[in-house]
Order: sequence, then structure tokens, then C-alpha cells
Amino acid sequence: MEQQLLQLAVSAREELDRCTTQASLEEFRIEYLGRKGRFSTIMRGLGAVAAADRPRIGQAANQVKAEVEALFVTRKEQLAESGNTRRHGLDFSLPGRKPVSGRLHPVSQVMQETCAIFASLGFAVAEGPDVEVDYYNFEALNIPPHHPARDMHDTFYFSESLLLRTHTSPMQARIMESRQPPLRVIAPGKVYRCDSDITHTPMFHQVEGFLVEKEVSFADLKGVLTIFTEKMFGKDLPLRFRPSFFPFTEPSAEVDIACVICQGSGCRVCKKSGWLEILGSGMIDPEVFRMVGYDPQVYSGFAFGLGIERIAMLKYGIDDIRLFYENDQRFLTQF
Amino acid sequence: MKLTRTWLQNYVDISSLTNEELADHLTMRGLEVDSLTPMYEDLAPLRTGLVLSAVRHPAADKLTLCQVQVGDQQLAIVCGAPNVREGLRVVVALPGTLLPGNVKISRSKIRGVESFGMICSEREIGLGNDHDGIMELPEHIAHGQPFIEAMALSDLGIEVDLTPNRSDCLSVIGIARELAAVVDRPLTLPIEGQRIDRMSENFSVAIDAADLCPRYCGRLVRGIRVGPSPWWLRRRLLSVGLRPINNIVDITNFVMLEYGQPLHAFDFTTLAGSAIIVRRPRPEERLFTTLDRAERHLDPDTLLICDRDKPVALAGVMGGLNSEVTEKTVDVLVESACFNPVSIRRTARRLNLSSDASYRFERGVDPQGTVNALNRAVALITEIAGGTAADEGVDCFPGLRPPPTITLNIDRCNRLLGITLPPQSIAALLASIGIPSQPGPKAGESDQLLITPPSFRVDIEREADLIEEVARLYGYNRIPITLPRVGMSYPEEDPDRRKRLDIAGRLTAIGFHEAINYSFIADKHAAMLDLPESDPRRSPLALLNPLSEEQAVLRTTLLPGLLDNVRRNLSYQQTAIRLFELGKVFFPTEPGKQPVEKHRLSGVLAGNRHGEAAPLHFPYQEVDLLDGKGAVEYLIGEMHLATVDRLPPTTDGISFHPLDESSAEPFAEPFLSLELRCAGKRLGTTGQMRTEVLRRFGIKHQVIYFDLDFDALCTLAQMSRSFTSLPVFPAVQRDIALLLPEEVQAGELTAAVRNSADPLIERCEIFDVFQGGKIPRGQKSVALTLTYRSAKKTLTEKNVEKSHKKIVELLTGSFGGSIRHE
Repeated sequence: MEQQLLQLAVSAREELDRCTTQASLEEFRIEYLGRKGRFSTIMRGLGAVAAADRPRIGQAANQVKAEVEALFVTRKEQLAESGNTRRHGLDFSLPGRKPVSGRLHPVSQVMQETCAIFASLGFAVAEGPDVEVDYYNFEALNIPPHHPARDMHDTFYFSESLLLRTHTSPMQARIMESRQPPLRVIAPGKVYRCDSDITHTPMFHQVEGFLVEKEVSFADLKGVLTIFTEKMFGKDLPLRFRPSFFPFTEPSAEVDIACVICQGSGCRVCKKSGWLEILGSGMIDPEVFRMVGYDPQVYSGFAFGLGIERIAMLKYGIDDIRLFYENDQRFLTQF
Repeated sequence: MKLTRTWLQNYVDISSLTNEELADHLTMRGLEVDSLTPMYEDLAPLRTGLVLSAVRHPAADKLTLCQVQVGDQQLAIVCGAPNVREGLRVVVALPGTLLPGNVKISRSKIRGVESFGMICSEREIGLGNDHDGIMELPEHIAHGQPFIEAMALSDLGIEVDLTPNRSDCLSVIGIARELAAVVDRPLTLPIEGQRIDRMSENFSVAIDAADLCPRYCGRLVRGIRVGPSPWWLRRRLLSVGLRPINNIVDITNFVMLEYGQPLHAFDFTTLAGSAIIVRRPRPEERLFTTLDRAERHLDPDTLLICDRDKPVALAGVMGGLNSEVTEKTVDVLVESACFNPVSIRRTARRLNLSSDASYRFERGVDPQGTVNALNRAVALITEIAGGTAADEGVDCFPGLRPPPTITLNIDRCNRLLGITLPPQSIAALLASIGIPSQPGPKAGESDQLLITPPSFRVDIEREADLIEEVARLYGYNRIPITLPRVGMSYPEEDPDRRKRLDIAGRLTAIGFHEAINYSFIADKHAAMLDLPESDPRRSPLALLNPLSEEQAVLRTTLLPGLLDNVRRNLSYQQTAIRLFELGKVFFPTEPGKQPVEKHRLSGVLAGNRHGEAAPLHFPYQEVDLLDGKGAVEYLIGEMHLATVDRLPPTTDGISFHPLDESSAEPFAEPFLSLELRCAGKRLGTTGQMRTEVLRRFGIKHQVIYFDLDFDALCTLAQMSRSFTSLPVFPAVQRDIALLLPEEVQAGELTAAVRNSADPLIERCEIFDVFQGGKIPRGQKSVALTLTYRSAKKTLTEKNVEKSHKKIVELLTGSFGGSIRHE
């Protein structure tokens, strides 16, 4: 019987070497290690062995069985590793069972990113009405009736005094009227201009921000907006502040970043200037403070407004602003 | 504002600047250069020529055969212009030349005679409108030269996008002044410091509206000859896109562009009583015909320039046809005045008539600049159109105010800008653009400057305006970068905004894409949804000046926008559409008052339930009502709102109710839509859209919608999120399969179980609903799983059996069903 066991070990080793597929391995397993296999058949003869020899032969039998099993496992692993990926009968090149998922609109994404940057700097978030009264949209911002600056705003009207806000700046006046400095607030929202072409839609999104405290300077305005552009567009992008005019800030500044399309060498998008305008800003005009009852000798502050679509277009290279409002899923899934 | 480089060069030497530097300096001084355009480049192939001989074409009366010398070439050219003659210097397009407008000149036979090129008119080469004859070049021009070089045409067009405050730069001289400071060179003006000392006796000026006309100057030029302007003048006007008209009108336009002061010339003989009266209209004066031959309605505040009897011009906006300078005009009265900006703007707006003059008056012109511009124009008229002008004139200035003196506090200026400039440096910066200053008394520790701004800077009225000038001249990019020193505070956030962001994010997690649509819709959209007249959604707030019918009213529902998105996506062959929008709708209150703005949350589903997921694992399944319901249930759960089907029963939880013809939204299929209700109030609906409604929106596919009052959902109390101990003892599950009349709703069974209030029942779920097959007609099989659990002990079969038996009896008894045995 010992002899039979030894032979079994030898033939099992040879047989295993010949197994090259998982199927032949399985045949081997049944033939040698199965319930009715060759090993079991030999072991059934154990009853006929003299009682004194049984412990020794039993031990030897177990040893041989363990050895064959170990060889079998090794061979199985070898086969699996040798490029046969169907170890579990599964084709891993098939697609996974991916659950359905959607995306936030790119405007929402950029809006949230913008708000998060300013929130980290301690700015509170406030929202206001889309339908505004003339007073907050214009007069409280130092734009009296018949001021030429009204030409900068193509306004949608409901009546002489009721309109769709043309910027989020009315929130400056609304908040300053009801609170006292120090103030650090951003006001995101939809704004409207009656204008429609490849670079203008009649509705778009802005974030207004302002900070009011004693001893706030233009240098501070540059600091805060530099942080914003660095976080939004990256640290190495050149930035410049350029004199401009808004009736509710003085001095007023436009902020340009080096053209992200041509890296400043000049292209169609930046009109060959190498710069792209991304936001308007300035020191809050003393007249605005006076109208909300703040003493401009005591307080100073800065304000800024940025267009979300514009930033999204530059960030993602979108060349037609109207795409934002078509809600084509092929567009929405790209961001 | 358009101008050219060579024009600027007349007043300041900018030859040290490259084109790019020029643009960059202007832009960085707040005069944003919109474009730089090299001019006349397309005329490079044109050559100058000399007409050697001109004889009539043998076969055509109106054609002339010319021999033209162009350098060492002598060319035969057939010309149709009446003014071609021997000895004329002309512009020649040689064969192969491409003229503006893509006209190619080639060798051709004209009425049997070969022609080797073309002699050009101004219009043919895009220089002007003159097509009466060929362009005549001055005598000194040699033949054979490139045309643009011979005529020194080469130039750079500059377009500056001016902000409304810088009216001083609505003139070439204004921009030259800024550049003079940049290159540190003197500004040379053709005329300055002019005054009118002797009053004319040949005409009179009276100002009856001093509030609207602070100053009015005029001079008379007699014996002029109206005709075309010389080339240099036409060229200047053409280079900035202005059409030359005649020498008088061209001169007034040229001086306006040069000095920024709008001028007007009247035919003096048309002025009754040789008088100018500046006044408001008389009651009977309702209509007035302007130069453009349009009849204009006057209102009581329209400022007019009149003669003794009648209006002759809309002050500051446009002259009248009745006093227009024509070819027959011999004497002209030239006007140079200042008008109230608001008055001019009102008139220009009201009449929708904006002119170069009104544009400048609206923004403010230099009240001290009127005489300079007037005398410049008169000098040019006598030089170009002949005539004589006495040095007398009229200068009325009843409303002229003395310029203000402004105190600039140096310390405040430095602190506001974040810089530390000494007063001398600030004074030097201001002086560079002609703003003089002198030291003033100290205010505490701070130095002060006393400044009387020059009259051309009408925008400088306050200290803040001067601080801006300092910042601008110092250079924004030299100001340091610091951060504000502000006390720490917690940035508060609107809790409802937080919820909106949160819910939007959660909807994307179940496959919805976020849509953003315009806040306006078409007025007809509400009717297309079959909303009845009485529905408040049929009464939107309408825009006075919409861009189109499609965007005429503020939306009262988000559905039209979303349906348009569905149509678009289907047309792009999308097979699974899942969109939501969380946005405002608007309901008018009182007329002229702000509307109520409410947030709604709406969604649409169409096509494949499994979206773009692999069809291998998820075969195509059309979405149905339960997908809409599921999305809404998910939202309720994510918002932690109480629903009635949670155990134990709550009295004011949210529940779903089926809707019939009378209660369903008019755009939804009755019996295929549900209401979301809480405490008797409708929070929204979900369901299948009606085919007919969809067709009106161009959709031929089934669409499931949900439409929720988000503000109302936000006001509902959220369930407290407190911890419940996890069960210690195991649960026992029992299934029941019931045969029921088909009209019994599965939800009624679960409600009955819930209401039985057996403390051992933890959960009751429907796991199968089946009709047909072995099930008798009129009946259906509903299978439930009941989960029993005790908090005190491990339940035995016996414990459960008692409860389970009661439930089975309850269900079969109440709904007329029986236990189904396999």
C-alpha cells in the first residue's frame, strides 16, 4: 500500500505537468483527489492493513495527499498567472455595472468654486431679488436717471421703475442699508441684459463681492483679487489691474489675466492683446456710502463683480456662451 | 472713439512709441484700446500714373482711350470717367491687381480696344463715395510710385473704448494730451486761449433757457464757396469712418473730432431777424424737421435753437433742414455752445436720435473750449472755403460756473491706495496731464494740495476723483499687493441656499443633470400647457422690451424650459434624458411692485431608465411614473422630511395621492399622476405628461415630470436626526401572498398593516405584484414580507404566529382576499 501511495505521488506529478488548462486541472482533481478518485480508492484499503501499521501508513497517506494537493494548487496558480485571465470564468474587459449619475451645470460648478474661495476668506453669502427696483439697481449705486453710464447696461424693464437687475451690485446697497461694518459679503445670482450673440446671452450669472472696514485700501483689493485668480486659474498666470470706470467705485479697475488660450502671445479670443478681462472692481465710491448712511471719512471698502460664464468659458475653453442655456446633455456631461 | 496715429502725431511727437507700446500705454491709463488696424494695406498694389494722352474711343462716346505713364511703362487704358484728361495724375490698378471688394483687374478688350488696367475712382479703391469721376492726384505726385506711399496714406487706425467719465478724450487732442504725459513731450495745439472780445452787430444771441445752455458762442463768415473738401480733410474724416459732405460740414466735423467740441453751421440767410434764440418750444411748436428729413415731435423740455420766428435746430442733437448749409450757401453762422448733458440725453433718447454731437454733450464738453474750437473752425473755413470773417462774434455765458477748488488730503489719498507718495510726487503726477496744484494748509499731520481742475476735465469734481487720477497716473500695477486687516468673523450663509446646493448635488447622484434655463419664457407657453385662464401661472410679469416673443414674460413654471431641453436632446438622438432645474419662478403682485420670487424644483425623465449605463447589464427600459415618484421619494428622504408611510404613523407627514381628471395638472395624464401632499397642502405633482401637450413642444416621446414647490419643502420640519439603538434581538420574516380584487391598491395593504399598530411589526414591504397567468380574471396577487422583531427578546415562532395570524385575517377580511397557496 505504501508502494501504491508513492506511485500515486509520482504519476500525479507527471499528470499535473501535462495539465495546461483549467478544465484539465479539474479533470485531474476529480481523478486524483475526488471522492471517488484514485487517492480515496487507495485509502479505502486502509481497513485491510494490520492495526499496528495503520498509524504509520495513515500518516504517510496524509503526507502524500497534502503533497499532491499543494502541487495542484501551485499548478493552478501557475496557469492563472500564465495569461489565462478567465480564472473565474469572467471577462474583465466587460464594462462594470456603473450606476447612473448626473452632473451639476458648469455654471453651478464654477459658481460654487468661486463662492468657496471667497467663503474661505470669510465672506458671507447673500442673495437678492432678480426683479429689482430702479433705486437699488442704479440710483443707490450713484447712477442717477439720464446718466450716460446707463448706456453700459442694456436693461429689461417691466415699468419705469421696475426692471431685471443688470448686475448683482444692488446687493451692496441692500446689505449696507441694513447692516453696519465691518462687512465681508458676496452676492451670487442671475443678471440680465437685453443683448444676445455669440458672446452675450440675455441672462448670465455674476458674483458681487464687497468688503467694508476702516482703513481698507486699493492694495487690499489687489490682494484679495489676486488670491481669487490664483485659486481659480493657477498661481503662475500673469495678472494686471487696469483703470476703468464704474459709477459706484472710484478708483475703478478691470482685472485682466494673461490669455489662457494663447498664453499671452495674441489670438482671436483676446483680440490680439494677450489679455483677457475677467472682472471689474474698485474702491466703493463715497457717494454710495453716503446714500446708505456710512461716513466715508471713517469707512472705506472695495467691491468687485465677476461673470461666471466668462470664467467658465476661459477655464474650459467654451467658445459660444449660448451653449450654457441649451442644456444639451452632451455638453453638460463634459464638466 | 476712432482716430489714427498720424493724426495724433500732429499734436504730440509719439514717434518713439511702437504701435503696441502706444496701445498698451493708452489701455493702462484707462483708455482701453479696442483695436489697432493698419490702414489702406489693401491698396499697396496701386500705382500713381500720368495721363499722357486722352482721345475718344472710336466706338463709344463716353469712353476715352488713354496712354498712361506708370514708371517706365506706358499703358493703353480705356477709361469711362468724364474728368480724365491729358496731364492728369491718377491712380492706376495694373492687370492682376485685387481691388477692395475682391474685384480683380485684368487685361481686357473694351469695345474692341485692349485696356491694360484701370484708372480708379475714390469709391473703387474704398477711399470714399465719390464715383463721379476718377481720383485726381495733386500736381507734385510723380508717376510709377506706390499710391499709398506717394499720398502718405499709410496709417494706423486706433479705436478706443472710452468709459463715460472721460469725455475729454472724445477728441484727438484729449488723447494726445494723455500721450504727451507718457512720452514727456509738449502738446502742440493749433489754437488755444482764444477769446471773443468784440461783440458782433450783424447778429444777436439770446439765451432764454440758461439752465439748459450755460454758454453759446457764434461767429459769422461771409462770402464762402461751398464745395468738396481738400484731400487732407476728406482723408481725416474717412479714416475714422465719417462721410465727407461739403467743406463747411466737413470742417465742423473735423474740429469736433479734433477738439471734442460739437459745432454747427447755419446758412445765415435763412435765420429770420439775424437772430439766435436758445429756448424751449412754444405751445404751438410740436413738429420739427431735422437735417435727415425726418419729422420730430417736440416736447416742452426739448431745447431748441431758434431764429426770431422759428426753430432752426434741435440744440446739441441735430440741425434743422430749414437752415441747412447747401451748395448755394454764401454766409454761414458757426455755433459753438455748451448744453446741459441731461437735457441733451433726454431729447436724444426720446427721439431715438443719437449723433456725434449729442454723444459728446451728454458726457459733458469743456465749457472753456467753445471759443478755441469756434476760432479754429472759422480759420479753416476762410482758408478752405474762402470768405471773410470779422474777428468779432458773440459769446453768451449766463450759466457758466466757476471751476471748483478741491482739497486733496495726501494722507487720505495714500491710505486709500495703500501707497506712501510725498505731496511733490503727487503734484508732479497731476501736472503731467495738465492738472495744476498748489500746497494747501496742513490738516493735522497731513499735507494737502489745493487743486482747480482744468475745465476740460468735467469729470473731476471731488477728492475721490483726484485720488483716482493719482492711482491711474502712478500705475495700478505699481501699487503693492496687501491683504485687508479685518477682525475674524464667521461668514453666515442663507440656510435655504445651503439646501438648494445640497439637493442639486444629491439629484446628480441619482442620474439627473442640472439644467439652467432663461428666467423668461414665451407668453403662449402657459397656454401650451393647457393651464386655464384662472391659473396664476397664466398671469406672468411681462417685459416692456423683450428680445423676442419667445422670451417675453417671466416664467411662472420651470416646465417649458425643461421641455425645450427634452426636445433638443431627443433631436440630438439622446436615448436617456434626465434633467432637473432648481430655480426661481415669478408671480406679479401689485402693478409696479416687485413680484414674489419662489424657488421650484422640477425634473423631466424620458427614454431609458438606466441612462447611459451598459446595456449588457441594464437592458433598455422605458421610464414610467414610478421613476418620477421614486425621485421624489428620494428627495424627501434626503431632505429628512417625515412621510406618512413611516412607522409609527405620523399625522402630518408627506403622502402621495392619485389624481383624476379634475385634480391632475392639465398637462399631465389623469390617473397617471400623483400629488405630493402635506397637511392638506399640495407640495407638487409628478406624473406622465400628456401626449398632446408634448406634441406642442415638439416632443414625440413619453415624458415623466416632477414639479415641486421647493420653498414649501424647505419650510417643513426636518425629522430630528437622533440615534436609535440598534436592535439586539434577531428579526423573524414572514411572507404572505394574497389574492385580491384587482382594484385594491397595494399601498392600502401596507397602510392597514401600519395602522394595526402591532408593536412587533418592524417593516412591511411589497415584493411582488402579479396579474394574469393562473390568477383568475379580476384578481391580482400581492406578496408582502413582514418583519417582526421585539426589543426585549428573541421572538419564537409562537410569538410571531399570533401576530401574523391577526395580520392575515385583517388583510383577507378587509380587502376581500384570500391567501394564495402554491
